[in-house]
Amino acid sequence: MAAIRVEGLSKTFRTRTKAEGFGASLRGLVRPAWRLIEAVRGIDFEVGEGEVVAFLGPNGAGKSTTIKMLTGILAPTAGRAEVLGIDPASRRERDRRLLATSIGAVFGQKSQLWFHLPPSDSFRLLGAVYEIEPALLARRRAELVERFGIAEYMDVPVRKLSLGERVRCEIAASLLHAPRVLFLDEPTIGLDVVVKREIRGLLEEVARCDHVTIFLTSHDIGDIEKVCKRAIIIHHGTVIVDESMKELKHRALAKKFIGVKYTEPVNLDISGLVPLKRTRDAARFEIDTRAHRIEDVLRLLVERGEILDLTVEDESLENIIAGIFSGRSEEEARAAATARPASEGPTAGGER
Amino acid sequence: MNRHLLIARKYRVAASVSLRNRLAYLGNFASSLATYALFIFVFSRIWTAVFSGAAAGSAPALASGHRTIAGYDRAMCIWYFIVAEVPMFGFGHFFYTLAQDMKSGQVAYLLGRPYSFVGYHYAGSMGSAILESALLLVVGLILGSVFAGPVPLGSLPQAGAILLSLLLAGSLQFLLQFAIAMTAFWFEENTAFFWIFQKIALVVGTLLPLEFLPDAAQRVAWWTPFPLLAYAPARIAVAFTPATALRLLLLQAVWVSIAAVTCRLVFSVGRAKITSQGG
Repeated sequence: MAAIRVEGLSKTFRTRTKAEGFGASLRGLVRPAWRLIEAVRGIDFEVGEGEVVAFLGPNGAGKSTTIKMLTGILAPTAGRAEVLGIDPASRRERDRRLLATSIGAVFGQKSQLWFHLPPSDSFRLLGAVYEIEPALLARRRAELVERFGIAEYMDVPVRKLSLGERVRCEIAASLLHAPRVLFLDEPTIGLDVVVKREIRGLLEEVARCDHVTIFLTSHDIGDIEKVCKRAIIIHHGTVIVDESMKELKHRALAKKFIGVKYTEPVNLDISGLVPLKRTRDAARFEIDTRAHRIEDVLRLLVERGEILDLTVEDESLENIIAGIFSGRSEEEARAAATARPASEGPTAGGER
Repeated sequence: MNRHLLIARKYRVAASVSLRNRLAYLGNFASSLATYALFIFVFSRIWTAVFSGAAAGSAPALASGHRTIAGYDRAMCIWYFIVAEVPMFGFGHFFYTLAQDMKSGQVAYLLGRPYSFVGYHYAGSMGSAILESALLLVVGLILGSVFAGPVPLGSLPQAGAILLSLLLAGSLQFLLQFAIAMTAFWFEENTAFFWIFQKIALVVGTLLPLEFLPDAAQRVAWWTPFPLLAYAPARIAVAFTPATALRLLLLQAVWVSIAAVTCRLVFSVGRAKITSQGG
């Protein structure tokens, strides 16, 4: 069974607009103006049980809106979603309860811990809210405290914890009721590199040991590379890429970067190759592997002089994804230039 | 542990965690206790002035020789005010937190939990409000003894009725404020509704006993829940009879039920209107 199934899911927000000036404000009282914002436009995808999926997109792409629809916070305007076979938009109390006990959610910018109390109080409350038997709660809490290394923070008020310590507690708290699907919306936002690495390690462990389906949105490519096996990329409310990390990284193979440094100044004019950077004794080339064989380029470089250092690199995942976004934006810009004026229909934009 | 106990535990723990949160800063109570004490002092002076004026014959409304207004003497008026203000100070500020949570979108993140949203907030709010009200009552008893004389407590049933009535008044306060806060689903700015609610509640039975209002106003007031927010416990405190107490407690229970059903209905309709844009 698919853990998450999404078919034609859409969300349009109706936002009141306010023009400048006192007159416009008065007119707004009588005839308010509204704008429709299509945050998510008929997206489709499926996530299997135990999969770890990255849900990527630039600001305003519709990532958070999608997660909110999947967790039952927002009702879709059209289309349908299922999480573990449950419709998150269902108004039946039984469905809502079942969904709530089957999923966990961490919203990087919204804490579920009580700010002035130690995490142990929030754990006690969440254990009670999810109706976990006291003995089971104690066992589960002990496991998570050990796994997340948070024993020393459990009796310190949350306001006195560092962001990294708090996020560890947040994720542990969201796993207290042993959810089968975990939604993480920007969990590493604002963390330093060391803490990010720790959190990624913990998420990997959760996915591997507990077979939890993880659906992760992030701007951080490191999160995605280290934790996820598949990436869904959303842009202006539409899914533009849905492929495994392997396939996504394969795109990198089409491009290599070669850096070379010689012991003395050399002539680096090579027909067909334009260096990205160049000094008298060093250069960095971007090679399109469909046009040039790497070994041919290397041979040419070796022939030019005595090499002090040589590097061959793949394109970073960050650049690949940035390239996908900018490529799509250019296509859309071209399409928009020939289409009807934007004011005639719903607009896509704004922070979502 | 059986299911019912597990369900009861979630609301009990919500109340206790909220109470612990409130206790994190004892200074939280200081401002409301100080304001309450100041109000008692000011009103005890006012009632003293009113009734000494009566003694000098300058208050025609006073029953001759008895020094009472609509059946209340000076001590009764002061004790009335002391008890009537407890639910207003102790339970009177839920609206601001709820409305803020709704406007900020925080409320959206609390919806995906397996609890009754209204019940969870009720438990959380009452946890700290009951402690605050208990402290207010202690301050009130001390100041009342100084300004009005002996505590007008005749029997254990009266004390029980006062406490129960205060709890029902607090519950009604919570539910009415919750319903007003939920108008945020439809209106961007709803503080004005709460302002009007607060002012009516003050006039109808908080600052003055209900009997001080004109007959027509009293008749209208009894069709609303306002007399049950402060008048009911205060009346039981200063003029206790088993029959009056029972009638007032029953009326409070009825209005609490009506308000609870209203809250559930408004919430279930309103939650579909939640829009939470932004990451």
